Amino acid sequence: MEEFFQQLTNGLAVGGIYALIALGYTMVYGVLKLINFAHGDLFTIGAFLGLTLLTSLGLTDHIGPIAGLVVLAVMVVVLVGVIGFLLERIAYRPLRTSPRLSAVVSALGASIFFQNAIMLIWGARPLVYPHGLLPNITIDIFGLELPLIRILMFLISVVLMCGLYYLTHKTRIGTAIRAAAIDQGAAKLMGIDVNRVISLVFMIGPALGGAAGVMVGLYYGQINFTMGWLYGLKAFTAAILGGIGNIPGAMLGGLLLGVVESLGAAYISIAWKDAISFLVLILILIVRPTGILGERVADKV
Amino acid sequence: MKRFMHVMAMGLIATMLMSSAALADTIKIGLQAPLTGKYASEGLDMKNLVEILAAKVNAEGGINGKQVEIIAEDDAFDPKTAALAAQRLVTSGVVAVIGTYGSAITEAAQDIYDEEDVIQIATGSTMVRLTEKGLANFFRTCPRDDSQGAAAAEVLKDRGYKRIAILHDNSSYAKGLADETLKRLDKDTVVFFDALNPGEQDYNTILTKIKGTNPDIIFFTGYFNEAGLLLRQKKEMKWDVPMMGGDATNNLDLVKIAGKDAAKGFFFVSPPGVTDLTSPFAIEVLDKYKTKYNVLPASIWSVFAGDAFLAITEAIRQTKSTDPEKLSDYLRNHLDEYPGLTGTIAFDEKGDRAGKFYRLSEVDANGAFVMLP
Repeated sequence: MEEFFQQLTNGLAVGGIYALIALGYTMVYGVLKLINFAHGDLFTIGAFLGLTLLTSLGLTDHIGPIAGLVVLAVMVVVLVGVIGFLLERIAYRPLRTSPRLSAVVSALGASIFFQNAIMLIWGARPLVYPHGLLPNITIDIFGLELPLIRILMFLISVVLMCGLYYLTHKTRIGTAIRAAAIDQGAAKLMGIDVNRVISLVFMIGPALGGAAGVMVGLYYGQINFTMGWLYGLKAFTAAILGGIGNIPGAMLGGLLLGVVESLGAAYISIAWKDAISFLVLILILIVRPTGILGERVADKV
Repeated sequence: MKRFMHVMAMGLIATMLMSSAALADTIKIGLQAPLTGKYASEGLDMKNLVEILAAKVNAEGGINGKQVEIIAEDDAFDPKTAALAAQRLVTSGVVAVIGTYGSAITEAAQDIYDEEDVIQIATGSTMVRLTEKGLANFFRTCPRDDSQGAAAAEVLKDRGYKRIAILHDNSSYAKGLADETLKRLDKDTVVFFDALNPGEQDYNTILTKIKGTNPDIIFFTGYFNEAGLLLRQKKEMKWDVPMMGGDATNNLDLVKIAGKDAAKGFFFVSPPGVTDLTSPFAIEVLDKYKTKYNVLPASIWSVFAGDAFLAITEAIRQTKSTDPEKLSDYLRNHLDEYPGLTGTIAFDEKGDRAGKFYRLSEVDANGAFVMLP
């Protein structure tokens, strides 16, 4: 039983990361009906930028480890947000009125571009975050050995997700985003600057991905230029699982995917882990084609 | 016309006398290697090393009073060229042939040497089936693809582990090594056998699962990247079970990823690299090589050509003969623990390299790889 709970927490920790990345997919899809395949690579950029800033600025030495990491995270979030903004301007906006397939191809192209750019800038070998930045404290909760960092990581993910939920559901900007998601034409008629909304969405989504990248880098230590592909795929799956276009759905999907993977690996087979999670995805889509929380009928991409 | 025939006959006799005189003077050893083409660097390293060893033997008076002559033929890392090179070597009257680099290239020449009763000692050909054909004259100084599993199983048994967890990554290399190791272990001692997904970053789930089986050793057969992450996350779980790796973990990035603390005590089986060869004899030969060519051989594969040369010359010396049957018998049954460059040389009944070759290395407290004696 103890092992079951240990595996559950393992799954939730990974699921939190999936959920954070899945939010980027789901927000863009909600507004533009476009799968931003470059999103996983924006996450990778976040991880690499974090490492470069960390080692070149020496923030943690100047202003202490906690403040240093917070400033680092904010810087990365802003930079990745800017990259997301530019991505939309350059790769997606010119294709706004083109057939949907053109935009998808452009997204795949952007993904390939980013991945290779990362490889050329930072090299093909895995890079490593400095050791000993984070204290290795383990907390004993009901006999479960939980590293403090994992709990913090999970909490930060949840806080960011709740913040996003608040932003989209309780503020004027959020109302504008949701309005643009429902009907861009009508939103324009109501005086909403849809282009600005879309730019904003393309900054918030990648920014969350960048934050996830820094967390992954800090916690797991090792980063490589292809890591965005796997995380992107998993997060995309999570977004579909929860109902793409739906923000709480992405959170639920991410956590659920993490837990299913972890328990599947623990009690069925490690080697079949991915097969099990995709089987669950297929089963859920057969029962609920729009995903768990999805309401709109999913359009074909 | 009669006179012409006479001259011809004289000429023929003279040629035969001369060639037998040449045979009496030197012992010819062939070297088949890729001296051109994309692996030319390997082939040239092989040739350079063998020539240094031959010069050394000749300077010391040769073998049984005869000088050694190396006849090198280029196979260009191409099976068709290899067959031609083999034909040329066979007709030039060599006793034995050293080489070559590349299993497919070796296979193309194998039968030609065997039919003509020429001993062949392959050097960079690890494919299993080369020695499964029952050829009497074929040997190799390099390990074969499944021998690492045997070495790993031996280490696990020697160290007395009773609850072994084997983890691979489903790549054909890592799974092969895991299977070969499992085959040689007592089934009761293996408590866990499964694969992880390479390329992921969170292996806590797998570690938690393995921990549930309470092993006294984890043998991970995959690559350094995942091994580093496993060590790091294992340390974070405050779980201090020892971990062993295969030769794909022989990369210092492992220590960078895991951190010195977590990597300390990790050990792996691996063939030695050129710079790991520390026997006085190997150092002497490699020093000569470096003085002459300014660099060390680029890879361990060319050093196996040196071992092949040492094995064949020792066989000729001990049997005082160049009869292939006697030499083959000596190499197979009597050569034992002969000190070579990459370790001790011996051959098993199939002609595969026996003797101690795989080495154990451990990560020390400073994060360096230290080869264990």
